[in-house]
Amino acid sequence: MNAPLRHAGPTGLVTLTINGRSVAAEAEPRTHLADFLRDTLNLTGTHTGCEHGVCGACTVELDGEPARACLTFAAACQGAQVRTIEGLADDAVMAELRAAFNREHALQCGFCTPGMLVSARDLVLRLPEADERRIRLGLAGNLCRCTGYAGIVAAIASVITERRARGIPAATAERRLGPVGAHAGVDAIPSALVATASAAVPLVAQTVVDLADDFVPAHRFAQAFALAFPPEQVAALFADVEAVAACLPGAIIDSMPEPGFVRGGMRVTLGPISTTFRGTARVTQEGASGRIRGAGGDGRSSTQGEIAYRILPGAAPGTSRVELEVGYTLKGPLAQFSRPGLVREVAGRLIAAFARNLEARLSGRAVNPDDARGLSPLRLVLSLIADRLRRLFAPRA
Amino acid sequence: MKPAPFRLERPRTIADACSLLMQDGAKAMAGGQSLGPMLNLRLAAPDLVVDLGGIAELRRAWSEPGCEVYGALVTHADVEDGRVPDVGENILRRVAGGIAYRAVRNRGTMGGSLFHADPAADWVNALSALSAEVEIAGPEGRRRLALADFLTGALSTALGCGEILVAIRVPHVQAGARFGYVKHCRKVGEFAHAVGAVLADPAAGTCRAVMGAIDAPPLVFADAAPLFGGAITEGFAARFDAAAAAAALAAAGVEDPVRRHMHAEVLRRAALQASALLPEKAAA
Repeated sequence: MNAPLRHAGPTGLVTLTINGRSVAAEAEPRTHLADFLRDTLNLTGTHTGCEHGVCGACTVELDGEPARACLTFAAACQGAQVRTIEGLADDAVMAELRAAFNREHALQCGFCTPGMLVSARDLVLRLPEADERRIRLGLAGNLCRCTGYAGIVAAIASVITERRARGIPAATAERRLGPVGAHAGVDAIPSALVATASAAVPLVAQTVVDLADDFVPAHRFAQAFALAFPPEQVAALFADVEAVAACLPGAIIDSMPEPGFVRGGMRVTLGPISTTFRGTARVTQEGASGRIRGAGGDGRSSTQGEIAYRILPGAAPGTSRVELEVGYTLKGPLAQFSRPGLVREVAGRLIAAFARNLEARLSGRAVNPDDARGLSPLRLVLSLIADRLRRLFAPRA
Repeated sequence: MKPAPFRLERPRTIADACSLLMQDGAKAMAGGQSLGPMLNLRLAAPDLVVDLGGIAELRRAWSEPGCEVYGALVTHADVEDGRVPDVGENILRRVAGGIAYRAVRNRGTMGGSLFHADPAADWVNALSALSAEVEIAGPEGRRRLALADFLTGALSTALGCGEILVAIRVPHVQAGARFGYVKHCRKVGEFAHAVGAVLADPAAGTCRAVMGAIDAPPLVFADAAPLFGGAITEGFAARFDAAAAAAALAAAGVEDPVRRHMHAEVLRRAALQASALLPEKAAA
């Protein structure tokens, strides 16, 4: 017990695909995957019980197979595919299991349930012939302190029986030799990335997220603004990603590793919240219209969104009108705090500042430094109040 | 329940792993299913963990004349699912499917298990019965050791500084030979309290037997005939001599008569299983 005191190990960037999205965040080498999911990514559906591989509460899918998240160091599974209970919400087998767990009273306190479900899904897919004894053997690595095994076994047995009746065979995936999650040829901590990351955001755990292919926004709104310049000139400016970012308050470009693909962030200051969402975006433009799709997070909350824009001739010759359609999804604590209406108002202000900066840039003037600095809380609150007051006293249509 | 801080390296080659492991306080990790709990419980607190999971060369299996060769990173689930060839019909597969839990088998490796050298571990005992040999890489090059010479004590091996276990050679089980493997656990998936393994070929009159989980490397009988009345013939299991087994256990330092009884009984059941497996083999 007289071991010398040791400082916390160096942190490094851990890059994984979690629930279909690529995620990169800082972690110490000793951080196991369950803590990484829970503490860094706020995916608290994965539970930690014994933390030494006995109880099974932390069981997650690693490269499609169940594994103990507490016996897997996050940094040792660089590049792995992780699926947590959150990522199985829309899974067909899981839907059958959930219904069966409900029907058979297979959960009491619920603590073991996420791990039970991940193990149960594996049993259902891998062992379509399993009887009660085999199911009980297969569940030996998942402990239920409520001792609700009878219901759990009955639920799994009913799903297996039902699928067997439908003639569904065992599902076995192609798989290479060796431990799931351990990918050959991937370094623990790419040191170049660590340097960039810590220089950019030293304090908060940072998360980089890619937009899922099947993204459907939870909220949508449209905005428009006018510019005193012809559409061709505006379109030319829009094609320059760096110039556009310079006009967008709070936007940061870290790198553009390939044309149209941007790594960066967005500084957001809102009430007591001041945070930087970091992520990636894909920018495409064809003529007078284009699309920006991106996703980001600040370690606790995450957002995904797309903005489609069209640059149209304005009412007067030589002017243009830019129409935006914004769709987004916000998850995490920030989503609980913020309401869609509030986001729309914030976005409205952001876009107004963006339009002013575009005008300035197109006319060769310097961008207003205030407008480029992100939304200041005081200005935001004052303008929100002003807006509300204006509306309150505005004549009803 | 959180490990003490350590540095982590993921070498891509065996040579890099060996040179990293030359450092003081360095510990090799394969699937991490044995080392992980010890780190989390702070039973182990290495300065440096060398994760072998990124070395592609260890994730292979191949056949050689007379044996199958398993790279150190071949997992229990790889064997259980038949992604690597077995040394006989359902020999290693049966052992693999009984190790711990599926979620552990998906990451736990054959090499890691032998390197950890827990006397109660399945591969330590089953592969001792099957006369396996390990291949070791180190700063001085490669060498091979019989498993009995590799396992030098509970949780200790013949690996020197900067050496890693890279592959396991398991001889093919001769046609006509039968393998019995029984372990006693109070709970499915836990480390065994007693392990018995028997590889018998009544036609050839040979039998190799192992009594394991005795808090020391397994007790191996290269010629187990004395445990079965002096000769291995059809029905040898019925002639199991529990007193001879208990005497051998006492000589190996197992002092508790209850434990001696348990180990002898588990070996008897393994011998019975080996006998009973004949019809299955004939039918296949």
